[in-house]
Amino acid sequence: MSDHAGIPLIHIVDDEDPFRRSLVFLLESAGWQAIGYGSAEAFLQASPSLSSGGGCLVLDVRMPRISGLELQRRLQGSGSLFPVIFMTGHGDVELAVQAMKNGAVDFLQKPFKDQQFLDAVEAAVHLSLKRHAADQRCRDAREMLDRLSSREWDVARLLARGMANKEVAGQLGISDNTVHVHRQHVMAKTETGSVAELARLILHADPDGLD
Amino acid sequence: MFLRRQAILFLFVSLLSTLSIAGGVATMPVRVGVLAWDDMEESEIRWSSLAQGLNQRLSQQLPGRVVELHHLDLEAMTQALQAGRLDFVVTNPGHYVTLEANSGVTRLATLVSGPLTDPGHIVGSAVVVLDSRSDLHSLADLNGKKLAAVSPDAFGGYQLAWVELKRIGLDPELDHPHPLFLGFPMTRVVDAVLNGTADAGVLRACLLEKLEQKGVLRLGQLRVLSPRPDVAACKVTSRLFPGWAFAAAGQTPPALSRDVLLALLSLPPDVVGQSWTVPADYHPVHELLKELKIGPYAFLRETGWDALWQRYWPLLAVLGLVLLLWGAYTFHVEHLVQRRTRELRQLLDEHRQLEGKIQAGQQQMDHLSRLSILGELSGTLAHELNQPLAAISNYARSLIRRQDKGNLSTEALRQAAGEIASESERAAGILGSIRAFAKKRSQVREVHDVVALIREASSLMSGVLSRASVIVVSHELTEAKRRVIVDPLQIQQVLLNLFKNAWDAQQASGIDAPIEVAVAREGERCLVTVRDHGPGLTPELEAHIFEAFFTTKPDGLGLGLSICKTIAEAHGGELQVQDAKPGLLFRFTLPLADAPPAHEMEHV
Repeated sequence: MSDHAGIPLIHIVDDEDPFRRSLVFLLESAGWQAIGYGSAEAFLQASPSLSSGGGCLVLDVRMPRISGLELQRRLQGSGSLFPVIFMTGHGDVELAVQAMKNGAVDFLQKPFKDQQFLDAVEAAVHLSLKRHAADQRCRDAREMLDRLSSREWDVARLLARGMANKEVAGQLGISDNTVHVHRQHVMAKTETGSVAELARLILHADPDGLD
Repeated sequence: MFLRRQAILFLFVSLLSTLSIAGGVATMPVRVGVLAWDDMEESEIRWSSLAQGLNQRLSQQLPGRVVELHHLDLEAMTQALQAGRLDFVVTNPGHYVTLEANSGVTRLATLVSGPLTDPGHIVGSAVVVLDSRSDLHSLADLNGKKLAAVSPDAFGGYQLAWVELKRIGLDPELDHPHPLFLGFPMTRVVDAVLNGTADAGVLRACLLEKLEQKGVLRLGQLRVLSPRPDVAACKVTSRLFPGWAFAAAGQTPPALSRDVLLALLSLPPDVVGQSWTVPADYHPVHELLKELKIGPYAFLRETGWDALWQRYWPLLAVLGLVLLLWGAYTFHVEHLVQRRTRELRQLLDEHRQLEGKIQAGQQQMDHLSRLSILGELSGTLAHELNQPLAAISNYARSLIRRQDKGNLSTEALRQAAGEIASESERAAGILGSIRAFAKKRSQVREVHDVVALIREASSLMSGVLSRASVIVVSHELTEAKRRVIVDPLQIQQVLLNLFKNAWDAQQASGIDAPIEVAVAREGERCLVTVRDHGPGLTPELEAHIFEAFFTTKPDGLGLGLSICKTIAEAHGGELQVQDAKPGLLFRFTLPLADAPPAHEMEHV
């Protein structure tokens, strides 16, 4: 699942070959690993992983056939964790607004300064890493919580909300002793040492898990 | 058989006629018609000796034939001749000529008389006035006076004087002088002159002398007007014409004519000295009658304008009216045609003007579309150029980064340098295409008034910008010195660019000042300067101002001045900028039309 954990990858999609190559060269000069694609189709064909490791997408807004915005739209439902940076030679405000609404992290107007570009890429990669970490925590928490039986999950949720054993017993209609046994199992299965730890785990799995 | 019968008939007829003629001759009288110009009795007395003499002579050759004299007036004589009732006529020269023409008479002899012996110069006229009339010296003095004569038919007694008057522009027929016809005898004319009834009178030649001789008139009592120096015997006013004629009628047998002629010539002069001699040439008489349009030439009178008018005036009037109407119609038509022509010409002129305007508009359209094409092209070019420039920049920066980090590999350096070179070439190619675009029209060279071009660009400017600055043009050149050889569209493009820049500069700093354009001569070329009152340039900006894609304007492409520079160079000059403090001054020169051709070629 985490094949490229430590090496972020930057994907550049632009139909202008020399310019795209120069960006790849520039990113490599800054120590990044970058791959260039001559068109949206070429990118979709290669279908690189966008959920593991860090990285970002740098898309040219105007491209023949499938535009940058269209590519962004197609990737939205695929669970991509890579932030999108748009480039345009036309400075189209409307396109920029649309792109930002769709979740783009930055919008660069050509010609741009190399540092401006590198800063944007770095920010995007950082964001992707954070997203990746959050994603990982969520997965781990769900994995832990999945080990619980249905009754144990009920007890764990109520305990995480700060109820005492007695209250949990009253709520669920079971004896205090039974609650105590479930609590022992929950703590063991989730590898948590306290109710506070348990509560954090549940929130990691689902931010709304305690509502 | 038929022929023979005809021959017999012919013989018979011939015989009969011979007999009848022989019998006729024996009994018929020789009928001689005599013109009785005054009175029958007078005439008989006058010609009695002629009758006697002829009878005497003819009785020997023609026994039994008696000469009969018929005293006839003009009319009667003509009628008698035409009726064949006369064998011979004796008449005055004028009448003879008339008869010769109308009735076919042939003259046999001419009468000569008195002191005049040349048969061709016998009859003449003397116009007499009282000697005391000091106001009358020549025929010309008779204008407005009264002229007495016996009769309009009288040859010597009137017609000869008439023709002389006519020759000096007078005409009794037209009442100057006023004619008084008193009838015969001719002494009545003398009396009229003497008693003052008439201012002058016409007498036949030699009558005056005869009357003086007889004592009827005192010598010198009457004076002859304009006496002819070539006639010695008598004083005459007119030329002299042949005398009376003795003529044979057309049907008179030649033998009889011969006998009568012989008899006439053998007659001695009569008591008044008249005798017959060989016939004169009556040609002058013809001329005279022709001149007076009388006698056989009376028809000339009828074909004269007056006669024609008299006879044909209604027809002429109608004809005249028709002509007048036709003329009016023609005039009307002509007028219409001229009006239509004028209208057409006007329409054509308007059409031509409209065409001119359309053409001018077309040129402006061309101009504007050219600018807009350039604008669009610039947009594309900017985008096109952005890419290689950005790529070059990226490679360059990347190299610096790698060098800084100390991980610049030879391979990376090669790759980057190769990319930079190829991208530079690509950018150069794109710029080259702009140059080609600017050069595409450099073949166009026309002679134009540079001031007119500036005004056109100025009006284009004010047409495009609603709050355009005032553009002031100043020059001190004659029209001939303002004519330049240019591509007018390109020059206007340069001017428009400079105007637009000036306007932008002034707008940006909120200055409302006129843009100043000056035209002057600089050596063999025409110098144009455009000055604004904007903020001017920093030295740094000045260094780049003509570079392509260099701009200080947020929406500028930076192509304008670089293209203007190219155009100025294509015209053999240079576009320069200098600080005008305040403002900026652009200057460029253009080839003059009146410079030596070789010089221009050098630049173009």
